[in-house]
Amino acid sequence: MRSYAAQRAALAILQLAALSVLVFVLTALLPGDAADMRFTETLTPDQVARLREQLGLDEPAFERFTHWFGNVLSGDLGTSLISGGPVLDIVKASVGATLVLTLATLAVVIPLAVALGILMGTRENGRLDRTLTSITLGLSAIPDFVIAVVLVALFSLKLGWLPATWVGGSLLASPALLVLPVAVLLGRTVCLLSRQVRAGTINALHADYVVQARRLGVPRRRLLLRHVLPNAAVPGVQELARTGDTLLGGVLVVEAIFAIPGFATALVDGVETRDVPVVQGLTLVLAVAALLINLGADLVCNRLVPRTELLR
Amino acid sequence: MRARTPLVVSAALVLIPLLVALFGPLLNLDSRPGLPYESGSGHPLGTDGLGRDVLELLLVGGRTALGMALGAVAIAYLLGGVIGLVAASTRHRWIDELLIRPLDVLLPLPSLLVISVVAVGWRASPLAITLAVAMVNVPTVARLVRAAALEAASGPVVEALRMQRESWVGIHLGYVGRAVLGPVAADVGTRITLAVFLVASVNFLGLGLSPTAPDWAVSVSRNREGLLLQPWAVLAPALMLVAFTLGFNLLADRLVHRTRRLVEVDR
Repeated sequence: MRSYAAQRAALAILQLAALSVLVFVLTALLPGDAADMRFTETLTPDQVARLREQLGLDEPAFERFTHWFGNVLSGDLGTSLISGGPVLDIVKASVGATLVLTLATLAVVIPLAVALGILMGTRENGRLDRTLTSITLGLSAIPDFVIAVVLVALFSLKLGWLPATWVGGSLLASPALLVLPVAVLLGRTVCLLSRQVRAGTINALHADYVVQARRLGVPRRRLLLRHVLPNAAVPGVQELARTGDTLLGGVLVVEAIFAIPGFATALVDGVETRDVPVVQGLTLVLAVAALLINLGADLVCNRLVPRTELLR
Repeated sequence: MRARTPLVVSAALVLIPLLVALFGPLLNLDSRPGLPYESGSGHPLGTDGLGRDVLELLLVGGRTALGMALGAVAIAYLLGGVIGLVAASTRHRWIDELLIRPLDVLLPLPSLLVISVVAVGWRASPLAITLAVAMVNVPTVARLVRAAALEAASGPVVEALRMQRESWVGIHLGYVGRAVLGPVAADVGTRITLAVFLVASVNFLGLGLSPTAPDWAVSVSRNREGLLLQPWAVLAPALMLVAFTLGFNLLADRLVHRTRRLVEVDR
């Protein structure tokens, strides 16, 4: 157990190092930079060159990388080329809204998906299972922006029950603002997760040890909670880590539609103004978060079912 | 086995958007521009926010919406498939390690993030977005193909073929290659769905194609304010996307159930 955790953590550290190189290379390779982007119309080529020197864009890529990486290690993500403020401030300002959105969604998704998955799995091929399976299969085929557009039209424009866009203030202070975004994010993630939990439940129910436990007269409730659920949860937790990807994509879309000033909005702004340090910083923070989520999921799975080995 | 949607229905759901995307641009409706969000008056599906005919946009907009996604999956399979097959069939362990280990690093990278970074440099370039979507899928495809090929390559059949002095190409392309097709077929459906989603999300966010492009996802984004005035401007392209992904989901579900008994499908 301990050696698994150590191995997995070592892999994560390797991934982290490789990721930071990757993020830098990806952004450094890009054609054109912020100096071209903003000033070509108003400045002479000479002035653009001087500006580039000032911003440190003329140094060789390797030197820029060591400089940037050294700073990142000491917690300095650089300075925005557009606003001139530290990237860390932009990260801090936008992380709250995204975190609230994500956590609120997960708080609903996890219990709902587990409950639905077990409900479907224990009634394999029954009428309820068939209906729910069809619904989840269908719902997971609808892009989240389509759901968002339709929900906004219906509940805020037509019925006027819920606000359509963020108007300022804290997300937590006005839960009504969260209802539609969370509903949008819920759709696909619940479907993907509950299908995995269903499959895990069915597999566990057919396993020899459960058949034997049932034969020995273990009560159904205890059987489900103590024997089936931990095994059924493994594909669910692994899927949850992967759902992080879907969820993040969803969060980007939802923030754009509801004009929530979160990570995604900052990222899209950075892309639009070609503010490379901001994009680098945000990408790095998000990539690290994704890595940690994966690490956490693998450790939890190993805890639930200790026989899982380090995937290669 | 539970009752499943008839094959005809799933196939029709996939084929209708596909045919529209393929042959739509060939039909020349030649409609004149109208007022924004007009319904009727010579426009069967009304007009969009810029006064353009929705039906005409619908016929033209499929090429990018589906083409980019299908292209990306094809490239991902070409690259990932070769990497996976080579990694599984090589006798040198270091080649396997060298090919597969770097992919472990790429695996947890959020896909939209990679694409946003690419979009910084190559804005509005369908090729760059397609390549980015392909790159995001390569690690998963390579691992899937490698796992399936290893299972086939380590079985008794390959051993027997080897003892009969069957050629390397004959064994690996002939037998192992064919054995991989089952899990691959089941994966292609879900992968295409994901790619369509990804391309559509990028375009919806305005990181991909230009905001006036006829692309289905761009149309949904551009006309969303007019959903109550002229629903078809949003619903028609949205329905095309949904039909395509739903159809593929149903087909993939069918295949997964058929192959599950043979090979445990990983990821």
